[in-house]
Amino acid sequence: MIFTPPSGLRKTRIDWVLFLAAIVLLAIGTIAIFSSVAVLPAQARIVRVQLIAIPLALIVFGAAWSLNYQVYQDQWKFVYGVMLVILAGVLIFGVVDKGARSWYRLPFFSIQPSEFARLGLILVLANFLDKRMGRIRELPTVVGAFALCMPVFLLLIKQPDFSAILITFPVALVMLFSAGASLFHLSIIIGYAFISALFPILWSIITLNPELLDNTMVSYFFHLSDSLFSASVFVAGVALGSWLLWRLSVRLYANVSGAIFAGAALVLILGFFSGMLVKNQMKDYQQKRLEVFLSPETDPRGAGYNLLQARIAIGSGGILGRGFFSGTQSRLGFVPERHTDFILAVVGEEMGFWGMLLVTGLYVLVMRRLMQGARLARDRFGYLVNCGIFGMFLVYFCINFGMLLGMAPVAGVPLPLVSYGGSNLVATMAALGIAESVYARRYALV
Amino acid sequence: MIDRQIPQERLDLLWILAYAAALIFILRLLNMQVLGGAYYREIAEKNRTQIIGQSAPRGRIFSSDEKPIATSKPSFSLIYFPGQARTGPEIDRMARALARPLGADYDELRKRIFRAASREKPVRLAENLPSKQMLALSELKAVYPGVDIVVEARRYYPFGAYLSHMVGYIGRMDNRDWAVHSRDKNYSMDSRLGKAGLEQMYEKELKGKDGGIYLEVDSRGRLSRVLESRKWVPGADIFLTIDSKAQAAAEEGLKKSISGKGAVVALDPRTGAVIAFASAPDYDPNMFVLSGAEKEGLPAGKVLPEFNVALQGTYPPGSIFKIITSAALLESGRVDPQETVNCHGYYDAGSRVFKCWNKKGHGKVAFTEALAKSCDVYFYTTSQKAGALAVEKEARAFRVGKVSGIPLPGEKSGNVFGPSLRAAKKSYWFIGDTLNQAIGQGETLMTPMQAAGLIAAVANGGVFHRPYFVERIVRSDGQLYARGKPEVLSRVQLKPSTWTQIRQALRDVILDGTARSARINGAEVYGKTGTAQNPQGKDHAWFVAYATVNNEPAKIAVAVLVEHGEHGSSSAAPIAKAVIEAALRSELPAKAAPVRVIEPPQAPAPIQEPAVPGRIII
Repeated sequence: MIFTPPSGLRKTRIDWVLFLAAIVLLAIGTIAIFSSVAVLPAQARIVRVQLIAIPLALIVFGAAWSLNYQVYQDQWKFVYGVMLVILAGVLIFGVVDKGARSWYRLPFFSIQPSEFARLGLILVLANFLDKRMGRIRELPTVVGAFALCMPVFLLLIKQPDFSAILITFPVALVMLFSAGASLFHLSIIIGYAFISALFPILWSIITLNPELLDNTMVSYFFHLSDSLFSASVFVAGVALGSWLLWRLSVRLYANVSGAIFAGAALVLILGFFSGMLVKNQMKDYQQKRLEVFLSPETDPRGAGYNLLQARIAIGSGGILGRGFFSGTQSRLGFVPERHTDFILAVVGEEMGFWGMLLVTGLYVLVMRRLMQGARLARDRFGYLVNCGIFGMFLVYFCINFGMLLGMAPVAGVPLPLVSYGGSNLVATMAALGIAESVYARRYALV
Repeated sequence: MIDRQIPQERLDLLWILAYAAALIFILRLLNMQVLGGAYYREIAEKNRTQIIGQSAPRGRIFSSDEKPIATSKPSFSLIYFPGQARTGPEIDRMARALARPLGADYDELRKRIFRAASREKPVRLAENLPSKQMLALSELKAVYPGVDIVVEARRYYPFGAYLSHMVGYIGRMDNRDWAVHSRDKNYSMDSRLGKAGLEQMYEKELKGKDGGIYLEVDSRGRLSRVLESRKWVPGADIFLTIDSKAQAAAEEGLKKSISGKGAVVALDPRTGAVIAFASAPDYDPNMFVLSGAEKEGLPAGKVLPEFNVALQGTYPPGSIFKIITSAALLESGRVDPQETVNCHGYYDAGSRVFKCWNKKGHGKVAFTEALAKSCDVYFYTTSQKAGALAVEKEARAFRVGKVSGIPLPGEKSGNVFGPSLRAAKKSYWFIGDTLNQAIGQGETLMTPMQAAGLIAAVANGGVFHRPYFVERIVRSDGQLYARGKPEVLSRVQLKPSTWTQIRQALRDVILDGTARSARINGAEVYGKTGTAQNPQGKDHAWFVAYATVNNEPAKIAVAVLVEHGEHGSSSAAPIAKAVIEAALRSELPAKAAPVRVIEPPQAPAPIQEPAVPGRIII
């Protein structure tokens, strides 16, 4: 008797649900983009780019799908090298837009390499974690993974493109988490990230409330980042403090390893330096966004005003929306960045609650299928790649929705597939293509 | 994947994270879009629309013979919409071109346009443009996009200072008005509204619905398109019971009188309808239409003559009070109308001598002659028989000390003079008080309105109506909104013989008494003169009268007060005569002596004042 698998488990070459969900999101996004840019002077260019990007993205998707994903593991050095070269190249050959040197200008369109670098990093990281799976619970694995990311982050800070880091860092965390890294190690990494973000935030709070500077301690803290001298005094202070605490714990016969104190001091010092780096690289408008999130009333006509207008746009959509091409908030320009980061405001205004529900549902569906693909993968590398892509969607989803609904700072993060942005679209479809490639080469039955 | 090294539950954890995030977002969206949708929609609408208000024409006010007393006429305003011409040189050029036809200062104009352009809000550059400027400007309109001319309705009083104390005037909102109307979408800070008189009382009816041009603007306030041009709905028209000719006669008469101050009230005794209502000095309500604040319209140093003599001026009634005294005498039964009193020109009350107005004395007079000739001594003598309390009771019955109830603000009630008042004050009532009371001096005070009510009651047999002046209110679509109705306030119950005797005496006043000057061919006039003693200066002159034609019920009763007019017969009676003649013009025989009917003054030429800068609505 010939074995025939039940129809639900029949081995298809492509995950149609994932593909169609992505296509529907793309369609919704395209309609919203066309509607929101209808009155912009740059309308023709934007429509043209979108119409070029869609077929290009589909071709890339097809290519990524048909190519065996294991080739990336085989050639990870090449992938990593190309990634670093395009990121370094953009610092030399790139053009400046909005204060960041992050674009290659080509005759017909521009390319944002950081979008592709993110995908490359997922592949490289997946390979690294796959190779070290036997020692996954050791600290050097985690540190090594981030050492692998570090050159990329530094190149991104140099542009500066913080939103790319904001997306990539959690993706790395998700991959480590799903690879089974020790939760303790992960929390050290999170602590480090937290401290590097905390310093700029604290400094921003002080800038917002100058009266705090009357306090000498606060004033001293505020000027830490000004010179290398005061910074080294801080480092010495932290080192001394943790050493004293360690001595104290020894005297008290507390059974605490000295490594904990050393580690804590190291995390604090490293976080401080990263925070200093971030603060000194931050452009004015990025600083402003952070301040607005911390206290929205400081700038009613500025970034806070924009966010408010976006929220009005979403709210005014109501249940059924105001109809395609008839949202006044977005079409008359009350909503900023309406075809990119705030595209959901247009969707919310013109398609209403049902439209938003559809976008949310499709996103959840895409994430669900990616996770399904991870479970079905033929090998660990495929599993990790899928987890990374899942993490990327999750982070984009959380930050973009959260920003719009007032739960996260305005980070300049687009919503893949829906927002306008050729590089982002092509990179996202490439990622989905790789995920489909993993799916296509899965074991027949699990 | 078949790798046992990887903890599968971690994927579940991640999945729960994604699911929870989606759930939170959906709940938040539910809150914003489904629950807060209407709220946000309203903000979004406000964001995108800007309104240039066009005030609706107020309802017109007509006299009973349908002469317009207050109306509206189109007025042209020049508006600048920012958005088309915005650069510096463009604005300079435009301001220079507009400055000459507008007669405005170039620098000032340029500054205003700049401000409008930088704030991205439309602005009224000029209001009330005369037609001459219009032509020049409409040519410029084609050259300079962004400049437009809109039509608005402006209040206009064709007869100027005519019935001004009843009609009132309109003006800009002040803080108090704004507190009342700020919730009303039909009003803006820029609106004009009734400030006094009818304009204020019937503000709701007269106002109408403002129209406006609803503009869609983008986030920078630039005009994107005109959404809707909403047509205004004119206010309801008010038809008054005022007869324009009688009113004109009253005002003309007061103006030509000795002092130029006084009041005329003419009522229809059958209903209480106000036929004429004049109070001098008056004012021209037109002067408040354009100017900003109320006081700005006045020449420097002048106070608005808002004091309404007809309702707020209280004067001793003088001899017209003798009508009330007569009623008391005849009703008391203690005085025989045939009984004569010998008048020597004075009356000795023991402690003091009271004079008759006629120093020579009237000789022997009985009731009818005494009232006709207004003999003080007769009333001194007889009122003591009837008693001061009886006179006071009758005065109260004739509504002295009570407001007439005309629905206009600020009416005074005057004062009843009598023993009960003294008793309440724990003071004494002297015989001299009785004598003063009998001839309407002392502390009795009446307004011209009350005097008119008194004579109307004599004419109709004792009925006091609430005076009303709104005959009907007709909405702009032609529907009747309201109609004035006669309302009886009180009645004076007197014996028919009393009425006959009083009327006979009042007829004699005209025929061969104190007011022969008020005789009218073809009509029987009944009247009574009066002189209100005025310690500050010349006495005030009173005259009250009513007239019947062909023994029909009287259709008009008039009270005239001329301040410092001295004698009722010479200064007040001719005014009353003119008013009666004008009011009864259709019934008086044509072949009678040519009746001089005073035409209302011709409508003055449309006011041409320098354009006043306007503010933009919203």
